[in-house]
Amino acid sequence: MSLKDTLFTEAEQKALFDHTFLARERLEEQYASLPHQSETAAFGMWVFLATEVMFFGTLFLSVGAYWCLAPEVIERASLELNWIIGGINTLVLLVSSLMMVLAIHSAQINRQSDVYRYLLLTAGLGVCFLCFKALEYYIDYRENLIPGFKFDEAEWVSRGVDASQIGYVKIFLFLYWTMTGFHALHVTIGIVAVLVMAVLTRRGHFSAEYYSPLDVTGLYWHFVDVVWIFLFPALYLLGTHRL
Amino acid sequence: MSTKLVPVNTYIVVLVILLALTVLTVAVSFVPLPPADHVAAGLTIATLKATLVVLIFMHALHSPRLTWCVILVSIAWLLILFSLTYTDYLTRGALPQMPGH
Repeated sequence: MSLKDTLFTEAEQKALFDHTFLARERLEEQYASLPHQSETAAFGMWVFLATEVMFFGTLFLSVGAYWCLAPEVIERASLELNWIIGGINTLVLLVSSLMMVLAIHSAQINRQSDVYRYLLLTAGLGVCFLCFKALEYYIDYRENLIPGFKFDEAEWVSRGVDASQIGYVKIFLFLYWTMTGFHALHVTIGIVAVLVMAVLTRRGHFSAEYYSPLDVTGLYWHFVDVVWIFLFPALYLLGTHRL
Repeated sequence: MSTKLVPVNTYIVVLVILLALTVLTVAVSFVPLPPADHVAAGLTIATLKATLVVLIFMHALHSPRLTWCVILVSIAWLLILFSLTYTDYLTRGALPQMPGH
Protein backbone atom coordinates (compact mmCIF):
# COMPACT_ATOMS: atom_id res chain seq x y z
CA MET A 1 0.00 0.00 0.00
CA SER A 2 1.45 3.36 -0.99
CA LEU A 3 1.68 6.38 1.27
CA LYS A 4 -1.01 8.09 -0.80
CA ASP A 5 -3.43 5.26 -0.11
CA THR A 6 -2.82 5.41 3.62
CA LEU A 7 -3.28 9.18 3.77
CA PHE A 8 -6.39 9.54 1.57
CA THR A 9 -9.51 7.44 1.02
CA GLU A 10 -10.44 6.45 -2.53
CA ALA A 11 -13.17 9.14 -2.67
CA GLU A 12 -10.75 11.80 -1.50
CA GLN A 13 -8.23 10.74 -4.11
CA LYS A 14 -10.87 10.99 -6.84
CA ALA A 15 -11.97 14.43 -5.62
CA LEU A 16 -8.36 15.55 -5.61
CA PHE A 17 -7.82 14.21 -9.12
CA ASP A 18 -11.01 15.90 -10.41
CA HIS A 19 -10.03 19.15 -8.77
CA THR A 20 -6.53 19.05 -10.26
CA PHE A 21 -7.95 18.21 -13.70
CA LEU A 22 -10.51 21.04 -13.52
CA ALA A 23 -7.98 23.53 -12.24
CA ARG A 24 -5.59 22.59 -15.02
CA GLU A 25 -8.09 22.34 -17.88
CA ARG A 26 -10.72 24.98 -17.11
CA LEU A 27 -9.20 27.56 -14.76
CA GLU A 28 -7.72 30.58 -16.51
CA GLU A 29 -4.50 31.76 -14.90
CA GLN A 30 -5.78 35.20 -13.83
CA TYR A 31 -8.36 33.69 -11.45
CA ALA A 32 -7.75 32.36 -7.96
CA SER A 33 -10.37 29.61 -8.20
CA LEU A 34 -13.16 28.25 -10.39
CA PRO A 35 -15.94 30.01 -8.38
CA HIS A 36 -13.98 33.25 -8.79
CA GLN A 37 -13.79 32.67 -12.55
CA SER A 38 -17.47 31.75 -12.82
CA GLU A 39 -18.64 34.76 -10.82
CA THR A 40 -16.54 37.08 -12.97
CA ALA A 41 -17.98 35.57 -16.16
CA ALA A 42 -21.55 35.93 -14.87
CA PHE A 43 -20.83 39.52 -13.80
CA GLY A 44 -19.49 40.28 -17.29
CA MET A 45 -22.73 38.98 -18.81
CA TRP A 46 -24.85 41.06 -16.40
CA VAL A 47 -22.92 44.21 -17.41
CA PHE A 48 -23.45 43.34 -21.08
CA LEU A 49 -27.18 42.84 -20.38
CA ALA A 50 -27.26 46.30 -18.74
CA THR A 51 -26.12 47.76 -22.09
CA GLU A 52 -28.82 45.70 -23.81
CA VAL A 53 -31.39 47.20 -21.42
CA MET A 54 -30.39 50.65 -22.67
CA PHE A 55 -30.49 49.50 -26.31
CA PHE A 56 -34.02 48.09 -26.14
CA GLY A 57 -35.03 50.77 -23.61
CA THR A 58 -34.66 53.56 -26.16
CA LEU A 59 -36.85 51.68 -28.63
CA PHE A 60 -39.57 51.19 -25.99
CA LEU A 61 -39.17 54.86 -25.13
CA SER A 62 -39.93 55.79 -28.76
CA VAL A 63 -43.09 53.66 -28.87
CA GLY A 64 -44.24 55.40 -25.68
CA ALA A 65 -43.40 58.85 -27.01
CA TYR A 66 -45.43 58.36 -30.19
CA TRP A 67 -48.26 56.81 -28.17
CA CYS A 68 -48.30 60.02 -26.07
CA LEU A 69 -48.53 62.14 -29.23
CA ALA A 70 -51.20 60.17 -31.09
CA PRO A 71 -52.62 57.36 -28.91
CA GLU A 72 -55.59 56.59 -31.16
CA VAL A 73 -53.54 56.24 -34.35
CA ILE A 74 -50.96 54.03 -32.61
CA GLU A 75 -53.77 51.85 -31.22
CA ARG A 76 -55.30 51.54 -34.68
CA ALA A 77 -51.92 50.57 -36.16
CA SER A 78 -51.26 48.07 -33.33
CA LEU A 79 -54.60 46.44 -34.08
CA GLU A 80 -53.27 45.29 -37.47
CA LEU A 81 -50.47 43.31 -35.81
CA ASN A 82 -51.07 39.62 -35.20
CA TRP A 83 -51.50 39.37 -31.42
CA ILE A 84 -52.38 35.68 -31.57
CA ILE A 85 -49.01 34.70 -33.07
CA GLY A 86 -47.35 37.19 -30.70
CA GLY A 87 -49.11 35.51 -27.76
CA ILE A 88 -48.18 31.99 -28.87
CA ASN A 89 -44.57 33.15 -29.19
CA THR A 90 -44.70 34.53 -25.64
CA LEU A 91 -45.69 31.08 -24.37
CA VAL A 92 -43.01 29.39 -26.51
CA LEU A 93 -40.26 31.64 -25.10
CA LEU A 94 -41.46 31.21 -21.51
CA VAL A 95 -41.36 27.41 -21.83
CA SER A 96 -37.92 27.63 -23.49
CA SER A 97 -36.73 29.62 -20.46
CA LEU A 98 -37.86 26.75 -18.21
CA MET A 99 -35.91 24.30 -20.40
CA MET A 100 -32.81 26.48 -20.09
CA VAL A 101 -33.07 26.71 -16.33
CA LEU A 102 -33.61 22.92 -16.12
CA ALA A 103 -30.45 22.41 -18.21
CA ILE A 104 -28.49 24.45 -15.66
CA HIS A 105 -30.18 22.61 -12.81
CA SER A 106 -29.15 19.29 -14.37
CA ALA A 107 -25.57 20.59 -14.66
CA GLN A 108 -25.63 21.50 -10.95
CA ILE A 109 -26.57 17.94 -10.03
CA ASN A 110 -24.18 16.53 -12.66
CA ARG A 111 -26.70 14.84 -14.98
CA GLN A 112 -24.93 15.55 -18.26
CA SER A 113 -27.34 13.65 -20.54
CA ASP A 114 -30.24 15.71 -19.15
CA VAL A 115 -28.26 18.92 -19.71
CA TYR A 116 -27.85 17.92 -23.36
CA ARG A 117 -31.53 17.06 -23.74
CA TYR A 118 -32.77 20.30 -22.14
CA LEU A 119 -30.37 22.39 -24.22
CA LEU A 120 -31.69 20.81 -27.41
CA LEU A 121 -35.26 21.49 -26.24
CA THR A 122 -34.33 25.13 -25.54
CA ALA A 123 -32.81 25.56 -29.01
CA GLY A 124 -35.77 23.71 -30.56
CA LEU A 125 -38.26 26.07 -28.93
CA GLY A 126 -36.11 28.99 -30.11
CA VAL A 127 -36.38 27.69 -33.68
CA CYS A 128 -40.12 27.25 -33.13
CA PHE A 129 -40.29 30.94 -32.08
CA LEU A 130 -38.47 32.00 -35.25
CA CYS A 131 -40.80 29.89 -37.43
CA PHE A 132 -43.87 31.61 -35.92
CA LYS A 133 -42.08 34.94 -36.37
CA ALA A 134 -41.42 34.15 -40.05
CA LEU A 135 -45.08 33.23 -40.52
CA GLU A 136 -46.10 36.50 -38.87
CA TYR A 137 -43.73 38.53 -41.04
CA TYR A 138 -45.14 36.82 -44.13
CA ILE A 139 -48.70 37.73 -43.07
CA ASP A 140 -47.53 41.32 -42.44
CA TYR A 141 -46.04 41.36 -45.93
CA ARG A 142 -49.29 40.14 -47.43
CA GLU A 143 -51.23 42.79 -45.49
CA ASN A 144 -49.05 45.69 -46.69
CA LEU A 145 -47.57 46.47 -43.29
CA ILE A 146 -44.04 47.33 -44.41
CA PRO A 147 -43.64 51.13 -44.63
CA GLY A 148 -41.34 52.23 -47.45
CA PHE A 149 -41.56 48.83 -49.16
CA LYS A 150 -45.12 47.49 -49.19
CA PHE A 151 -47.51 50.00 -47.70
CA ASP A 152 -50.83 51.39 -48.91
CA GLU A 153 -51.87 54.76 -47.50
CA ALA A 154 -55.38 54.50 -48.98
CA GLU A 155 -56.01 51.36 -46.91
CA TRP A 156 -55.27 53.26 -43.72
CA VAL A 157 -57.53 56.14 -44.71
CA SER A 158 -60.33 53.60 -45.28
CA ARG A 159 -59.60 52.23 -41.77
CA GLY A 160 -60.44 55.67 -40.40
CA VAL A 161 -56.94 57.10 -39.95
CA ASP A 162 -56.70 60.77 -40.92
CA ALA A 163 -54.47 61.20 -44.00
CA SER A 164 -52.32 63.73 -42.13
CA GLN A 165 -51.59 61.21 -39.35
CA ILE A 166 -50.43 58.27 -41.46
CA GLY A 167 -46.86 59.22 -40.54
CA TYR A 168 -47.56 57.92 -37.02
CA VAL A 169 -48.70 54.58 -38.47
CA LYS A 170 -45.47 54.35 -40.48
CA ILE A 171 -43.31 55.19 -37.47
CA PHE A 172 -45.11 52.65 -35.28
CA LEU A 173 -44.69 49.94 -37.92
CA PHE A 174 -41.05 50.94 -38.38
CA LEU A 175 -40.53 50.52 -34.62
CA TYR A 176 -42.37 47.19 -34.75
CA TRP A 177 -40.03 45.87 -37.46
CA THR A 178 -36.92 47.23 -35.73
CA MET A 179 -37.80 45.90 -32.29
CA THR A 180 -39.06 42.46 -33.33
CA GLY A 181 -36.24 42.23 -35.91
CA PHE A 182 -33.51 42.94 -33.36
CA HIS A 183 -35.23 40.61 -30.92
CA ALA A 184 -35.29 37.83 -33.54
CA LEU A 185 -31.57 38.48 -34.15
CA HIS A 186 -30.98 38.01 -30.41
CA VAL A 187 -32.98 34.77 -30.45
CA THR A 188 -30.88 33.54 -33.41
CA ILE A 189 -27.62 34.32 -31.58
CA GLY A 190 -29.07 32.63 -28.49
CA ILE A 191 -29.93 29.46 -30.45
CA VAL A 192 -26.37 29.27 -31.81
CA ALA A 193 -24.93 29.78 -28.30
CA VAL A 194 -27.23 27.11 -26.83
CA LEU A 195 -26.26 24.65 -29.59
CA VAL A 196 -22.55 25.32 -28.94
CA MET A 197 -23.21 24.57 -25.27
CA ALA A 198 -24.99 21.35 -26.27
CA VAL A 199 -21.93 20.24 -28.28
CA LEU A 200 -19.60 21.11 -25.37
CA THR A 201 -21.87 19.16 -22.99
CA ARG A 202 -21.72 16.17 -25.34
CA ARG A 203 -17.92 16.39 -25.27
CA GLY A 204 -17.92 16.23 -21.48
CA HIS A 205 -16.80 19.82 -21.04
CA PHE A 206 -18.98 20.53 -17.99
CA SER A 207 -19.44 19.11 -14.52
CA ALA A 208 -21.17 20.06 -11.27
CA GLU A 209 -18.04 22.05 -10.35
CA TYR A 210 -17.70 23.82 -13.67
CA TYR A 211 -20.59 24.92 -15.90
CA SER A 212 -19.92 28.65 -16.10
CA PRO A 213 -20.42 29.03 -19.91
CA LEU A 214 -23.78 27.30 -19.52
CA ASP A 215 -24.75 29.71 -16.75
CA VAL A 216 -23.76 32.74 -18.84
CA THR A 217 -25.63 31.45 -21.91
CA GLY A 218 -28.67 30.95 -19.66
CA LEU A 219 -28.53 34.58 -18.50
CA TYR A 220 -28.50 35.76 -22.13
CA TRP A 221 -31.38 33.46 -23.08
CA HIS A 222 -33.56 34.60 -20.17
CA PHE A 223 -32.84 38.24 -20.99
CA VAL A 224 -34.11 37.70 -24.54
CA ASP A 225 -37.25 36.28 -22.94
CA VAL A 226 -37.59 39.34 -20.67
CA VAL A 227 -37.40 41.67 -23.70
CA TRP A 228 -40.24 39.76 -25.36
CA ILE A 229 -42.29 39.90 -22.13
CA PHE A 230 -42.31 43.71 -22.54
CA LEU A 231 -42.53 43.70 -26.36
CA PHE A 232 -45.76 41.71 -26.38
CA PRO A 233 -48.01 44.21 -24.51
CA ALA A 234 -46.10 47.27 -25.79
CA LEU A 235 -46.62 46.44 -29.48
CA TYR A 236 -49.38 43.86 -29.89
CA LEU A 237 -51.93 44.63 -27.20
CA LEU A 238 -52.26 48.42 -27.49
CA GLY A 239 -55.43 48.34 -29.55
CA THR A 240 -57.12 45.01 -28.74
CA HIS A 241 -59.72 46.72 -26.49
CA ARG A 242 -61.18 48.19 -29.69
CA LEU A 243 -62.02 44.74 -31.07
CA MET B 1 -19.75 26.27 -8.33
CA SER B 2 -21.38 27.83 -5.31
CA THR B 3 -24.76 28.68 -6.86
CA LYS B 4 -27.57 27.61 -4.55
CA LEU B 5 -29.59 24.64 -5.80
CA VAL B 6 -33.21 25.67 -6.38
CA PRO B 7 -35.78 22.81 -6.35
CA VAL B 8 -37.21 21.92 -9.78
CA ASN B 9 -40.74 22.43 -8.44
CA THR B 10 -40.00 26.13 -7.84
CA TYR B 11 -39.09 26.55 -11.51
CA ILE B 12 -42.25 24.77 -12.65
CA VAL B 13 -44.46 26.86 -10.32
CA VAL B 14 -42.81 30.03 -11.67
CA LEU B 15 -43.49 28.93 -15.25
CA VAL B 16 -47.16 28.24 -14.44
CA ILE B 17 -47.44 31.73 -12.88
CA LEU B 18 -45.74 33.27 -15.95
CA LEU B 19 -48.13 31.47 -18.32
CA ALA B 20 -51.13 32.52 -16.21
CA LEU B 21 -49.95 36.14 -16.21
CA THR B 22 -49.60 36.02 -20.02
CA VAL B 23 -53.21 34.88 -20.32
CA LEU B 24 -54.19 37.63 -17.86
CA THR B 25 -52.37 40.29 -19.96
CA VAL B 26 -54.32 39.27 -23.04
CA ALA B 27 -57.62 39.09 -21.12
CA VAL B 28 -57.15 42.54 -19.54
CA SER B 29 -56.26 44.06 -22.92
CA PHE B 30 -59.78 43.24 -24.17
CA VAL B 31 -61.58 44.90 -21.24
CA PRO B 32 -62.98 48.32 -22.20
CA LEU B 33 -60.79 50.68 -20.15
CA PRO B 34 -59.24 54.08 -20.88
CA PRO B 35 -56.13 53.66 -23.13
CA ALA B 36 -53.76 54.86 -20.40
CA ASP B 37 -55.07 52.17 -18.01
CA HIS B 38 -54.41 49.51 -20.66
CA VAL B 39 -50.80 50.60 -21.01
CA ALA B 40 -50.43 50.73 -17.21
CA ALA B 41 -51.97 47.25 -16.77
CA GLY B 42 -49.88 45.71 -19.57
CA LEU B 43 -46.64 47.17 -18.24
CA THR B 44 -47.40 46.25 -14.61
CA ILE B 45 -48.01 42.60 -15.49
CA ALA B 46 -44.95 42.58 -17.76
CA THR B 47 -42.81 44.02 -14.94
CA LEU B 48 -44.12 41.33 -12.58
CA LYS B 49 -43.24 38.63 -15.11
CA ALA B 50 -39.80 40.08 -15.79
CA THR B 51 -39.12 40.25 -12.03
CA LEU B 52 -39.93 36.56 -11.66
CA VAL B 53 -37.65 35.63 -14.58
CA VAL B 54 -34.76 37.74 -13.26
CA LEU B 55 -35.08 36.61 -9.64
CA ILE B 56 -35.75 32.90 -10.14
CA PHE B 57 -34.68 31.86 -13.65
CA MET B 58 -31.62 34.14 -13.78
CA HIS B 59 -30.80 33.28 -10.14
CA ALA B 60 -30.50 36.96 -9.19
CA LEU B 61 -31.97 36.02 -5.80
CA HIS B 62 -28.83 34.06 -4.92
CA SER B 63 -26.36 36.26 -6.80
CA PRO B 64 -23.55 38.29 -5.26
CA ARG B 65 -24.15 41.92 -4.30
CA LEU B 66 -22.13 43.10 -7.28
CA THR B 67 -24.73 41.54 -9.60
CA TRP B 68 -27.47 43.29 -7.65
CA CYS B 69 -25.64 46.59 -8.19
CA VAL B 70 -25.65 46.05 -11.98
CA ILE B 71 -29.37 45.15 -11.97
CA LEU B 72 -30.40 48.11 -9.80
CA VAL B 73 -28.19 50.59 -11.67
CA SER B 74 -29.54 49.51 -15.07
CA ILE B 75 -33.12 49.90 -13.78
CA ALA B 76 -32.23 53.33 -12.32
CA TRP B 77 -30.70 54.50 -15.62
CA LEU B 78 -33.77 53.29 -17.51
CA LEU B 79 -36.02 55.19 -15.09
CA ILE B 80 -34.01 58.39 -15.60
CA LEU B 81 -34.29 57.97 -19.39
CA PHE B 82 -38.05 57.37 -19.22
CA SER B 83 -38.99 59.92 -16.56
CA LEU B 84 -37.07 62.82 -18.12
CA THR B 85 -38.41 62.08 -21.60
CA TYR B 86 -42.01 61.65 -20.50
CA THR B 87 -42.04 64.77 -18.34
CA ASP B 88 -41.98 66.41 -21.76
CA TYR B 89 -44.26 64.17 -23.82
CA LEU B 90 -46.94 63.55 -21.17
CA THR B 91 -47.29 67.24 -20.29
CA ARG B 92 -47.54 68.63 -23.82
CA GLY B 93 -50.71 70.65 -24.10
CA ALA B 94 -51.05 70.78 -20.31
CA LEU B 95 -50.47 74.52 -20.40
CA PRO B 96 -52.74 76.70 -22.56
CA GLN B 97 -49.77 78.76 -23.66
CA MET B 98 -46.11 77.89 -23.23
CA PRO B 99 -44.18 80.83 -21.81
CA GLY B 100 -41.90 82.29 -24.44
CA HIS B 101 -43.89 80.94 -27.39
